[in-house]
Amino acid sequence: MDKNVAEEKMAQLEWYISKHCLWQYNSRGWDRLIQNERILTKTKQVLRGENAKDDDTTADRYYWSEAMSLAGAFKRYFPWITETSKDDIAQILDLLKERMDFTMVKGSLNQELIKQQY
Amino acid sequence: MPYHQFKCSECIPERLQHAVDKGVDEDLTSALPLGYLNTIPGTISERGCAYCGAKHVIGTPMKNVIHLSHGPVGCTYDTWQTKRYISDDGNFQLKYTFASDVKESNVVFGAEKMLKKNIIEAFKAFPQIHNMNIYSTCATALIGDDINAVAEEVMEEMPGKKIFVCNSPGFAGPSQSGGHHKINLQFLNQWVGTGEPEIYSKYVINYIGEYNIQGDQEIMRDYFYRMGIQILATFTGNGRFDDLRCLHKAHLNVLECARSAEYICDELRVRYGIPRMDIDGFGFEATADSLRKIGYFFGIEDKAEQIIAEEYARWKPELDWYAARLQGVKMCLWPGGSKLWHWAHMLKTEIGINVVSVYTKFGHQGDMEKGVSRCEPGALAIDDPNELEGLEAMYELKPDLIMTGKRPGEVAKKIRVPYLNVHGYHNGPYKGFEGWVRLARDIYNCVYSPAHSLVHLDISKDEIPTDKGFVTRQMLSDVNLSDEIKNSTELRECTSDYDPIPRLRKKLEENLYTFPDPETGEWRQVPLEKLKKNKVVDVE
Ligand code: SF4
Repeated sequence: MDKNVAEEKMAQLEWYISKHCLWQYNSRGWDRLIQNERILTKTKQVLRGENAKDDDTTADRYYWSEAMSLAGAFKRYFPWITETSKDDIAQILDLLKERMDFTMVKGSLNQELIKQQY
Repeated sequence: MPYHQFKCSECIPERLQHAVDKGVDEDLTSALPLGYLNTIPGTISERGCAYCGAKHVIGTPMKNVIHLSHGPVGCTYDTWQTKRYISDDGNFQLKYTFASDVKESNVVFGAEKMLKKNIIEAFKAFPQIHNMNIYSTCATALIGDDINAVAEEVMEEMPGKKIFVCNSPGFAGPSQSGGHHKINLQFLNQWVGTGEPEIYSKYVINYIGEYNIQGDQEIMRDYFYRMGIQILATFTGNGRFDDLRCLHKAHLNVLECARSAEYICDELRVRYGIPRMDIDGFGFEATADSLRKIGYFFGIEDKAEQIIAEEYARWKPELDWYAARLQGVKMCLWPGGSKLWHWAHMLKTEIGINVVSVYTKFGHQGDMEKGVSRCEPGALAIDDPNELEGLEAMYELKPDLIMTGKRPGEVAKKIRVPYLNVHGYHNGPYKGFEGWVRLARDIYNCVYSPAHSLVHLDISKDEIPTDKGFVTRQMLSDVNLSDEIKNSTELRECTSDYDPIPRLRKKLEENLYTFPDPETGEWRQVPLEKLKKNKVVDVE
């Protein structure tokens, strides 16, 4: 997919997350990176029709639940998703992960993200 | 950074970085005010103290507990009963407040002996209550009273009594938020892990950061019970002390107000491996998404979908009646710490409200990240505003109403801006589907109150119209509505009861809920006494 098109589609997904989700706001930067990684990877897997469960732990089940809920909402809000190829979904979701890491952690102005303790 | 310069704060240059205007191309990497810093000298803040945050937000919603402030009587009395965190067993926590009543002589000679006497006296006066929370205050923290030692002594002398000591004096943090942090961790360290609960369902959650304001918890409890989920403990609204000792035994922490209670969730995740799931219980779509997520976690999505379908069918036509009449209404959404982000987007999409400003008194930058994300471009975001900034913003933005607490609300009324109390609520509960309709109704009644339109007349100079007679809210709200909406047979006004909580309690008494057995998975009723007072055994 053309990069500009992929970025435009990624921006739609980012908009949805910014208006509806809370999992990206854990209070520490390292925690946010894990949340982004686990939830967006699983969302990508769900949207590509792949297995998104890694193990039987409650932690994995939690990330999977967020991903299922997010993938469902993406499909409801953006019908183009169901017509997008698996490769293109991977491209868009990878861009999304990069973008979320930037806005929520690397480019964030939140001074609490680097505190050591909760 | 698109900082907003308040004229009234030009003389306090540090205030500049506490307010931003969200522009069209702005995101969180370019527009975010500072937050959770000490209030700047010279500014009149609306914040509370760290003792107040610990006791009055998080401690006192716990039911069946004697809440005793160790300090001068003013600390407890002046801040008592500002919230309506009710309980389903008689509201002991609202009816009584206790203080050790520290005086000058105690400051000089110490107040420990007097505290011990007071603790025993309080337990004897209320023999049915076996738990106590003691809160330190500025005075007793400064004189160095060892409250923990006194509590230990009493617990030894009075077997069966349990005392939690909260060391969060007023100065222990920039605002009430410092107290939220302290009480979260101190309760966890002192009492969590000391009880073994009876598990009666395959699905077990803690409901965290929920304070049962006018029954919010009881609305959500109904949904969870309909899904067959056992709520081990609610931290802390309508929560029992004994249940809270068992927080470590849940499968999932469902977190509502992250501002006040994310700390305990994060620690429970680290220490006991319980995942933290943040939810929004306000708004139709947000509540539905939250129930769905919890449904996925336990593999009971179908149960969640069934509740969502039933609740939409019952309440959506009523929400839409108000939404049709509230399109474009301008609001300043100025709550304490978390409702700016819980509500901003749902108010816009489901009720048509134009949120022109969000503020937070004690939120951190994380709350502003959520708030700024969820409001629309053009909104003014303010951290820890002072009274003059609030006034300047209202004069500039000309909101149709503000949603805030009692103190700034009264200020707004003076300049003829109507306000809704979103701390203690006007006619809550506001949570869940039914609650959201109640909030829409309260907004509608506030904006279109015929009485309110009269306050804009100044009898010292305005001509008073004598030709106008009877006016109703609907005569005002329906002026520009299409006939299709006016005559709709689908839409209807709120039919929620004056107080919906007795209905929910009656339902609980009738014991209509079923839960899956943790071993066999068989769905069956659970004895009512377990639902109301689960068995907890002491463990070392
Ligand atoms: S600031 Fe100190 S003295 Fe004032 S109410 Fe809070 S605890 Fe009491």
